[in-house]
Amino acid sequence: MAAKLEGKIALITGAAQGIGLAVATRYAAEGATVVLADIDGDAAQAAAENIGGSASAITADAGDEGQTAALIAEIVDQHGGLDIAVANAGVALVAPAVGMSLEDWRKVTSINLDGVFLTLTHAAGAMAASGGGALITIASVSGQAGSPLIGAYASAKAGAINLTQTIAVEMRDHGIRANAICPGFIDTDMVKPHKQTFADALGLEAMGIPDFDAFIGMKQGRYGKETEVAALATFLAGDRAGFCTAGVYNLDGGLRAGLL
Amino acid sequence: MSDLELEGRLAHVTGAASGIGWAIAQRLAAAGARVAISDMDADGAVARAAELGDGHFGIGADVRNMEQVTAAIEASVEALGGLDLLVNNAGVEIGKPIVETGEEEFAWLMDINVNGVFRCTKAAVPALAASAAAGKDSAIVNIASLAGVGGVPLLGAYCASKAAVIRFTEVTAIELREAGVRANAVCPAFIDTPMVERLAPAVAAMTGMEFGDVVAVKQGRYGTLEEVAEIVAFLGSDEAAWTTGSHYVLDGGLSGGLL
Repeated sequence: MAAKLEGKIALITGAAQGIGLAVATRYAAEGATVVLADIDGDAAQAAAENIGGSASAITADAGDEGQTAALIAEIVDQHGGLDIAVANAGVALVAPAVGMSLEDWRKVTSINLDGVFLTLTHAAGAMAASGGGALITIASVSGQAGSPLIGAYASAKAGAINLTQTIAVEMRDHGIRANAICPGFIDTDMVKPHKQTFADALGLEAMGIPDFDAFIGMKQGRYGKETEVAALATFLAGDRAGFCTAGVYNLDGGLRAGLL
Repeated sequence: MSDLELEGRLAHVTGAASGIGWAIAQRLAAAGARVAISDMDADGAVARAAELGDGHFGIGADVRNMEQVTAAIEASVEALGGLDLLVNNAGVEIGKPIVETGEEEFAWLMDINVNGVFRCTKAAVPALAASAAAGKDSAIVNIASLAGVGGVPLLGAYCASKAAVIRFTEVTAIELREAGVRANAVCPAFIDTPMVERLAPAVAAMTGMEFGDVVAVKQGRYGTLEEVAEIVAFLGSDEAAWTTGSHYVLDGGLSGGLL
């Protein structure tokens, strides 16, 4: 197997589970030294041990500037630099935007937008000092269109997409690439408990669609897999994608391609 | 994961005797695919296939002619034993202001860049669907352009045609999802090709800026043929099995910035 990320030092935030864990696992398989950051340090530690090799874990709250700065400083100190940073940490809140408290809004945006800002800006600083690198934001197709019940999440993702593009343009001359990945619906723990709520809000019954899973089948063929996001994140992190920057890459089974 | 990520893949690349198409054909073959090369230049197509070595196939076809397209796809399906990746690459450009573009040359460009994609897709879908039904990942990759995403002076016809290809790709993806055939488009910005070399002086005269300077500022550098081939290889592999209906931009950040 030709390892695509041999010798690279990679940070993945929110890496104890879900997409972040899949990305970390794949990067390690491609020869990268991976650092799994997560607010749940025990889970991150267990995940890193499970990956084995040179994988390690650090406890960090992605929404906290001091912890994020310290996390990146520690990686640079331990590994001599940072080549890839994946801003993946995120939370979801399923509730209508109208009537949402500012406190709830900020619970989401403080991680999904502020947290992305902190990871990207601190990682870019470290990368600029060592000749460049690749930033990847795990955004969402919900950042591209009105998304009932996930207004805070989707708004933060829209902001994260724009921020990723802005940093890409600002940092091009420093050899830093930045791209956003926009998955459609993955059958993660973020989605599973809320299927009936979505079905009701979308009026699926009135359209004769039995449930949310059936709707997903119609709109995007099936649920995506975390490993499929990891495959795209591997392509974008590697030298093969050297001309890809400020890009927004959808991976959604065709969800965004259709109007209906 | 094999070292050869496209091992066993049966591909057909149109307009592949030169330029981006040839780079794609080489990349797919290097990754283990068996490649059929079609081109208006029949001798070139056959010679390029021979250059790739045993197991590859070359044939002449003009994408303006449905009979030729159908015959070329059928012959390549026969020669390779099937088809699970179609790369619609054949295309042309006109570098003129819209008002100076003749009706006939506009129609000529559309016939190649848009209708040609339609013809090749139509001819290839039965074989692609058969491949999907047999359990293989089956895909179409259309070579569109960043010119299909935003306006570029002097490229009116070309921009319109590439925008059409992007939308055509979306509908292809939706209609063929049930059949298991994926369809995506690739949108390169300015790549180091003869086409860009031909356009540079006219664009420079119009914008008042040296073309190379514009490229350096807006996209860092020219993209390379190999970089286009890499993203095609990715989208054409089962690594991208859930990616369909998308257009993947490859532009050094050109379209990611406002100014």
